[in-house]
Amino acid sequence: MSTRTVAAPARPAPLEEPPLYRPDLTLTQVNRDILAPIFQRPTKAWWACFACAVGALAIGAGIVTYQLLVGMGIIGIQWPSMWGTYITNFVFWIGIGHAGTLISAILFLFRQRWRTAINRSAEAMTIFAVICAGMFPLLHVGRTLLAYWLFPYPNQRHLWVNFRSPLIWDVFAVSTYATISLLFWYQGMIPDLATVRDAILKRPLAKKIYGIVSLGWKGTARDWHHYEAGYAMLAAIATPLVLSVHSNVSMDFATATAPGWHSTIFPPYFVAGAIFSGFAMVVTLTVIVRVVFKLEDYITMDHMELMNKIILVTSLMVAYAYATEMFMAWYTGNPYEQYRFYGIPFSSHFWPAFTGPTAMGGYVMLVCNCAVPWLFWFRKIRRSVPAMFIISLLVNLGMWFERYVIIVSSQSRQFLPSSWGNYRPTRFDYGVLLGSFGLFFTLFLLFCRFVPVVAVAEIKHSLRKQIGEPPASPAGALENVHA
Amino acid sequence: MPKAKQPTAVGIFRDPESLVHAGETARRRGFRDLDAITPYPVHGLAEALGLKVSWMPRVTKTCFFVGAGLGYSFEYWTMAIAWPLNIAGKPFNSVPAFMPVTFECGILLAGICTFLAVLAAGRLRPAPNFKPIDPRLTNDHFALLIPHGVEGGAAAHALLRQAHALEVFDVER
Repeated sequence: MSTRTVAAPARPAPLEEPPLYRPDLTLTQVNRDILAPIFQRPTKAWWACFACAVGALAIGAGIVTYQLLVGMGIIGIQWPSMWGTYITNFVFWIGIGHAGTLISAILFLFRQRWRTAINRSAEAMTIFAVICAGMFPLLHVGRTLLAYWLFPYPNQRHLWVNFRSPLIWDVFAVSTYATISLLFWYQGMIPDLATVRDAILKRPLAKKIYGIVSLGWKGTARDWHHYEAGYAMLAAIATPLVLSVHSNVSMDFATATAPGWHSTIFPPYFVAGAIFSGFAMVVTLTVIVRVVFKLEDYITMDHMELMNKIILVTSLMVAYAYATEMFMAWYTGNPYEQYRFYGIPFSSHFWPAFTGPTAMGGYVMLVCNCAVPWLFWFRKIRRSVPAMFIISLLVNLGMWFERYVIIVSSQSRQFLPSSWGNYRPTRFDYGVLLGSFGLFFTLFLLFCRFVPVVAVAEIKHSLRKQIGEPPASPAGALENVHA
Repeated sequence: MPKAKQPTAVGIFRDPESLVHAGETARRRGFRDLDAITPYPVHGLAEALGLKVSWMPRVTKTCFFVGAGLGYSFEYWTMAIAWPLNIAGKPFNSVPAFMPVTFECGILLAGICTFLAVLAAGRLRPAPNFKPIDPRLTNDHFALLIPHGVEGGAAAHALLRQAHALEVFDVER
């Protein structure tokens, strides 16, 4: 009997990750490149952007002051649409913030190394977006100076807020989200602020200020040990938090009985939409930051492509949610729900969401959220800066209109025709929206000017993992950005 | 009471591998309370220096449950005891409706306490006149710190030189 030997199949070589950064980068060069915007005088481009942002902010601030003086009548809300652009803007900005937490916390837990290039600016975006979002409910309540009534506090009449109301869940969710995001962002920044402090040679006041904000960070092994554990814990609690926040926001609508709102798909649908619009905003901002501050070596085209892939995936999720809503309206046989989506076929009431007062919004939403991101199926487009910039702007336009259509069309077409009515925003509504963009970009531009926009310590850590230890500068030679 | 300052030998290295190796050697030779300064977290260093597992997760976990418990108790007290109101026929103790705020209170306390614990663990506080041991240590160099008694200085210096430290000097720490 002959014996046959069978060769063991060759094991496939492990898949190699493509390098994230240029292989010849040194640690000193990372310092020099990333800290450059802090040490150099701002460029003309920065001043131009800053002037536009402050101008927009001034318009918004002027309108808000006017509203506080004369009252809510200047904006478009009136019966039956008592929630208008202010609530639309609130949901829009909260959604923008979500991508920052997704990048900083969820991708951290999944050990996605590419996040290091963008997490700092994405977290900053979260904070500023939550500030913008938080402003709108305060304005929307009308008597803004009494907005503290939203919180449970001991008062003369022993009255408490109603904890069964999703609006109170929102107050807790958004304020917790703002606090945790701020702490997470600041903690991540402490080592980098210390790097700036130690790199300053000539400006004693600046050195003192960075000394205060870096909290005497020394970078000892013990410090890093606790810092890393604390950072991981904050990431672990920020992950369910971010999912809960937009779920709570969606329940503002879903727990109401209005047709089109009363739906169990709202929490996941809103979270997917938030990540979709948030990533689009990250792309918009990083396209600008990497060009203006010459950070193409750190925020590389591979990073941009990965973000565009996430935009494509979340676009598919959002489109699926739209389709589910349409299907469920038909399948449940609820006539009010059906009317909200399809109207009365072949009559003037056909498809109110797309023919009524929010018609333009409905089409913009469908085209920008479901069709335009499909261009990202093409690699060439995923890697084209002008294309991704335009697509990210269109996605955000579409997502603003999505919230507008959800909020306005359901209120305009409730159960009885006697309670129907049209909503039209006034120029003041648009002015306040413009003002919120002004506030967002003013804060973001100041952030780029005074804080490292890329996480220096994390980039160094990733660089080391990528190519082993890069060559250090010669002993004793402290190469500083401005030296 | 703050610990009394003691002389510490500092060895500056160019790469983290030499640092980790020097740390392991120092520990093997009986030096205690070793520390290091690095521009980014170097993995394997905590084990080399014999640092215990961080207690941060315990802070987060405990504070989450305390926060959630306080949140729920407050909701129960306001809605069922202090001023019970019949709202849409829901029970005074509406457990499912109380969950979101309970969860948020847990997360809020856990997050704030974890952050404060990180500051406390590193004794971090505003330091306008902070003087680093060497400013290169937040840039591209690494340092091993070996606290030694009055007699141990020579042995610590010899160890650091042997481990190819670029510079060796003493500081009071």
